[in-house]
Amino acid sequence: MDGWAGKILDIDLSSGSVKTYPLDEKVARLFVGGRGLGARMLWDEVGPEVEPLSPDNVLIFTTGPLTATGYQTSNRFSVTTKSPLTGTVLDANSGGFWGMQFKKTGYDALIVRGRAEKPVYIEIKPTGVTINDAQPLWGKRVREVTQALGQNDHRRNVLCIGPAGENLGRMAAIMNDGQRSLARGGPGAVMGSKNLKAIVVEGKQRPGIDDDERFKFMLYETRKLLRASPLTSQALPEFGTVVMMNIVNNIGALPTRNHQQTQFEGAEAISGETLTEKYLVKNASCWACPIGCTRISKTDKVEAEGPEFETTWAFGAQCGIDDLAAIIEANALCNDFGLDTISVGSTIACAMELVEKGKLDADLHFGRADLLAPTIEAIAYRRELGSDLAEGSLRLATKYGLPELSMSVKGLEMPAYDPRGMQGQGLLYATSNRGACHMRGNMLGLEVLGLPKLIDRFQVQGKSSYVILHQNSSAAIDSLVICKFTNMGVADEYFARTLTAVTGIPYSTGDLIKVGERVWNIERLYNLREGFTRADDTLPPRLLNEPVADGPSKGWVSKLEPMLKEYYRARGWDEQWVPKPKKLAELELVNLMEAAR
Amino acid sequence: MPSRKLFGNLRQIAGVSKVETQGATVRQAIETLCANDTALRDAILMDDHLRPYVRVMIDGHDIELAQGLVTLVGAEDQIAVFPPMAGG
Repeated sequence: MDGWAGKILDIDLSSGSVKTYPLDEKVARLFVGGRGLGARMLWDEVGPEVEPLSPDNVLIFTTGPLTATGYQTSNRFSVTTKSPLTGTVLDANSGGFWGMQFKKTGYDALIVRGRAEKPVYIEIKPTGVTINDAQPLWGKRVREVTQALGQNDHRRNVLCIGPAGENLGRMAAIMNDGQRSLARGGPGAVMGSKNLKAIVVEGKQRPGIDDDERFKFMLYETRKLLRASPLTSQALPEFGTVVMMNIVNNIGALPTRNHQQTQFEGAEAISGETLTEKYLVKNASCWACPIGCTRISKTDKVEAEGPEFETTWAFGAQCGIDDLAAIIEANALCNDFGLDTISVGSTIACAMELVEKGKLDADLHFGRADLLAPTIEAIAYRRELGSDLAEGSLRLATKYGLPELSMSVKGLEMPAYDPRGMQGQGLLYATSNRGACHMRGNMLGLEVLGLPKLIDRFQVQGKSSYVILHQNSSAAIDSLVICKFTNMGVADEYFARTLTAVTGIPYSTGDLIKVGERVWNIERLYNLREGFTRADDTLPPRLLNEPVADGPSKGWVSKLEPMLKEYYRARGWDEQWVPKPKKLAELELVNLMEAAR
Repeated sequence: MPSRKLFGNLRQIAGVSKVETQGATVRQAIETLCANDTALRDAILMDDHLRPYVRVMIDGHDIELAQGLVTLVGAEDQIAVFPPMAGG
C-alpha cells in the first residue's frame, strides 16, 4: 500500500493496552484518509448510546496517503470524535508539523479510547509506544507543556490540551506544535475527559511512493501553479487571511454585535492592512508549504501566531471591539488555554447581547476590549459566569431564556459571514454536518471573490449545486489531507493525479470528488443515527426573519427553505434528508443504512 | 465627486487609502486615478480589462454583476477596489 503506512495504532487508556492492526485496503481506497477515514472509523466505534465525554467516546487521529510525502501542504492531519458541543460527528484538522511527524511513526491513524486513572501523555517513537505520567503537566498551559515535552519542529512534535480541555469546556481545542489548533466542536474536552494531556511523536519512516517520477512531476507542476497564482503567491503571504475584513464589511456581510448588524464601523482598525502595518513581525509556514500565510504578530504584551480572519472577526466585529492589540492578545490567550477562538468570541458576543437585553446580569458589554482577557480566562478555568460560557453559546442562551440569541447551527457557532448577505453561505452553514462551518466549502470564493468565477451572492435558485460541489470537494481535500489554500491555485484534477502517483490506484478527478461525496454522506448517516433530523438543518431565527437594516445587504433575510429543498433533491436525499438507496448504492454505503434508521 | 477606497497592496502602491476621482464610469474613474501612476494602473488593469481576481465594487455591489467597467458612477457613490484576495 504505497502512500498509506498500512497500520492503525489503538491505545486503550483504561487498560493501558497498545495494539496495532492493519488498515483495511478497501476502506482506504473508498475513504482515503483524514476526515474520510476518521468518519468511517467513528461509525464503527461510537454509537448513539455513547456520551461524548464518557470513556466510550474515542479520539481518532488520522493522516492521509499524501501526508509527509513532501507534496505541497502535505502536513495536515485530522481528529474525529463525537462532539461534546454539538453531539454530531466532528472532525477538525490542523497544519504545522505534528501530522507529518505522526505519519513518519509508521501509522495512518491513532485511536485513543477509555480513560486513564491519572493524567498521562502518550509518546510514539521508533523505539515503541509508551503511556507516561503527566501529573506534573496537568494544569499547565499549552506553550509550557509544548516546550517541556521537547517540541522540535522537524524531529519531535507535541500535541496537547490546555486548562480548557482539562476542565471539559465544550469549546476546548486540541493544540499542536504550540499554536496550531484542532479547534472546532470541543475535541479538547474529549481529550481532557480521558485524562490525556499530550501526544508526542517522533518518526523516521518515509511513506512509500508508487511512481516516483510521476510524483516529482506533480510536485513541479503544483509548485509552478502556486507561484503563478496571485492568490497563493501574493495575496495570502502578503496580508494573510485577515485581509478579508474590509471586503466582507464592504459588501455588508460582516456579522456585527452578535449578528445585529452586518457592517462594523471599526472594521478598518482590525483589518489585515492594519495588522500588517502595525503588528506584523514576520510570516511563517507549515511544513512543506510554499504559501506561508501564517502571521507572527506582536503587541506590548505578546508575540504570537495569528490572528486569522475568523478570530479577528469573532473578538472584533462580533463583540463590537475595534482594538486590534486586544484581539491579538485574546487570540494568544485562547491558544495558550486551548480554546476555539470562533466559538469563544461568538459566545462572549451572545453573553453581551443577553446583558443588553436584560436577561443576564454581568459586566459584559459590546465594545469593551478590556473584558476579553479576563472573560477568556474565566471560560478556560470555568470560574463563575465563565462556567456557563464554557458550555458554548447555545447552552448559555438557553439557560438565560433566549436560545435564539445563539448564532449557531447544530450548536456550533457561525464564522464571519452573515448569510443574509451571502445566500449560498447560509445553505452551507445550515447543511454542514459538524454545525456552522466556513471550511466545508468556499462560498466566499464564489459569492464575493470571484474564485473561480463570481455568482450573485443574493441569488437563491441554483445555489445548491454550487454548495454541493464545494462540500464534496472540500471533504475530498480534507481526506487527502492537504490545505484548502492549495486549491486556490491548483485544481482538484492535480490532487487526483498526485494521489494516483503516490498510491498506484487510479483516481480520476471524478473519483476524488466521489470520495468527498461519500464522506459527506457517511457523516450525514452518522448524524441521522444520532437522532438529528431535517429540522436541524437551519439557521438562527434572526437570520431567517430579521431583514438587514441598512448597507449593501439592506432588506435581505436568508431564503433558506427553497435552497434546502433544491439541495436535498440534488443530493439524492428524500424530503427528510435521508439519503436514497440509489445514492447509497452509488457510494458503496448501502450496508450502513439500516443502522442509520 | 465619487470617493474611491483602495485596499491591500493597492494602498501600498498608491500611498493612500482613499481618494476622490472624476469620471462618469468606473473605467473613467480608474483612468483618472491612475493617470500619473503606472504601477497602480498595472496592478488594477491588464490590456484595458480588470486583472484576474481584482474586484471593484460600487457601494458594496460588484461591478461584474452590473455593466463592468462601463458601469455608471454617481456623485455620491463609493468605489472600492480590492486586489486579489484569499482567505477565510
